[in-house]
Amino acid sequence: MHIAEGFLPREHAVAWTLAAAPFVVHGVRALTREVRANPESTLLLGASGAFTFVLSALKIPSVTGSCSHPTGTGLGAILFRPPIMAVLGTITLLFQALLLAHGGLTTLGANVFSMAVVGPWAGYGTYRLLRRSGVPLMVAVFFGAFVADLSTYCVTSVQLALAFPDPASGLTGALVKFGGIFAVTQVPLAVSEGLLTVLVMRLLRQSSKGELARLGVLPAADATKGAVVR
Amino acid sequence: MLPIDVAAHGSRWRRRHPAEKAALGFGLTVCAVSLPPWPGAVLVTVAALAVLLGPAGVAPRQLWRAWRLPLGFCVTGAVPLLFQVGGPDGWPALAPEGPAHAGRLLLRTSAASLGLLLFAFTTPVSDVLPRLVRAGVPAPVVDVALVMYRIGFLLLDAVARIRQAQAARLGLTSRAAAWRSVAGLGATAFVRAFDRAARLQTGLAGRGYDGTLRVLVPDARVDRRFLAATAALLAAVVALTLVLERSL
Repeated sequence: MHIAEGFLPREHAVAWTLAAAPFVVHGVRALTREVRANPESTLLLGASGAFTFVLSALKIPSVTGSCSHPTGTGLGAILFRPPIMAVLGTITLLFQALLLAHGGLTTLGANVFSMAVVGPWAGYGTYRLLRRSGVPLMVAVFFGAFVADLSTYCVTSVQLALAFPDPASGLTGALVKFGGIFAVTQVPLAVSEGLLTVLVMRLLRQSSKGELARLGVLPAADATKGAVVR
Repeated sequence: MLPIDVAAHGSRWRRRHPAEKAALGFGLTVCAVSLPPWPGAVLVTVAALAVLLGPAGVAPRQLWRAWRLPLGFCVTGAVPLLFQVGGPDGWPALAPEGPAHAGRLLLRTSAASLGLLLFAFTTPVSDVLPRLVRAGVPAPVVDVALVMYRIGFLLLDAVARIRQAQAARLGLTSRAAAWRSVAGLGATAFVRAFDRAARLQTGLAGRGYDGTLRVLVPDARVDRRFLAATAALLAAVVALTLVLERSL
């Protein structure tokens, strides 16, 4: 769920843009350094961004019987790291606003903060923590994607609650309202996205070991085991 | 390509400088967000629709198809405003000011969306991206965005074709099959994206690629008369809002 154009009051739109800006600037610096050091990585990063854009357009079967879209932030952060995802996510959200009328420019900062900053960092943090604890790769991938998806929607709930406090119970009531709605719809979706990410990663481990090793997801030694099948 | 971008490439205003259209579209969006929803957002809606369907020449059906998406999100998002939690009348209850609050939100969001659509329907993304370097965005970021834009369409086409093939092979008939299919789709998109990037790199290397993607940008000059008309329209919307707000 993207916050639609004009949905947030002006002050909130500005505040969330300012909150997201340092992370995006940090990501831009990381990306610029990477591209200047390895000019050919422009194309790989572009391909990664295009993959994130397409991933967010896939329809996944929801537990509730309907369809929804994965955020792709968990998989993106595991594959490309959170600073790069902040930039790729921002460009993806900009494209979605201009090409699909999803989201908007005044709400870009808020959407970037939830989907391109908090989601990737929370998901990647969970993934790294579990991997360091010796948890198997696929379990860590599931929880990374699950946490990334859920944290994205938790932040969106907070953003909406801050913008529209409940007339009777203020921020707490608004959090209950928006959080309750998201809990019903998003917890099953977060489980769905976690499962989908595990399935995608399993297929990638079979077909793209070289790329996964280059991205640091698999140890370099794994890339040489078995033939790469396209 | 996506419908909005197709419309932008064939727009009457395609040859106009993106800065002119940004000033008009985003100016209207800023007015919608900054002015009181009644009557400000209504005036912005009227002005944006008049420009979109008049001089910009956007087909009404195309506009409705694009506009109904944000409208749908707004309606869904406005529903919680109709209720309050933990009031004296019980839990939860209808909020006394809820319908008015939701109505104001719908007015503001629908008007702001039209400003964005005005820019999107008249300006292809490929005209905007190369100019961002002059606006101070680092060139490597713009290059990555350009590659994303170009590979993204190819991937979307590939994904649509693969999904069609999966459906033809009964890949969507059961829940388990649908899960397998969508996972295969995601993995194939990843493999294709990297494959495309590798082939693009090989092709560019043969043409002396030095890390910068050089693209031709259609020559366009900023039309001062257009900017003056934009400023006049925005000023009229603001002035009329303030006058009507006092008199209503």
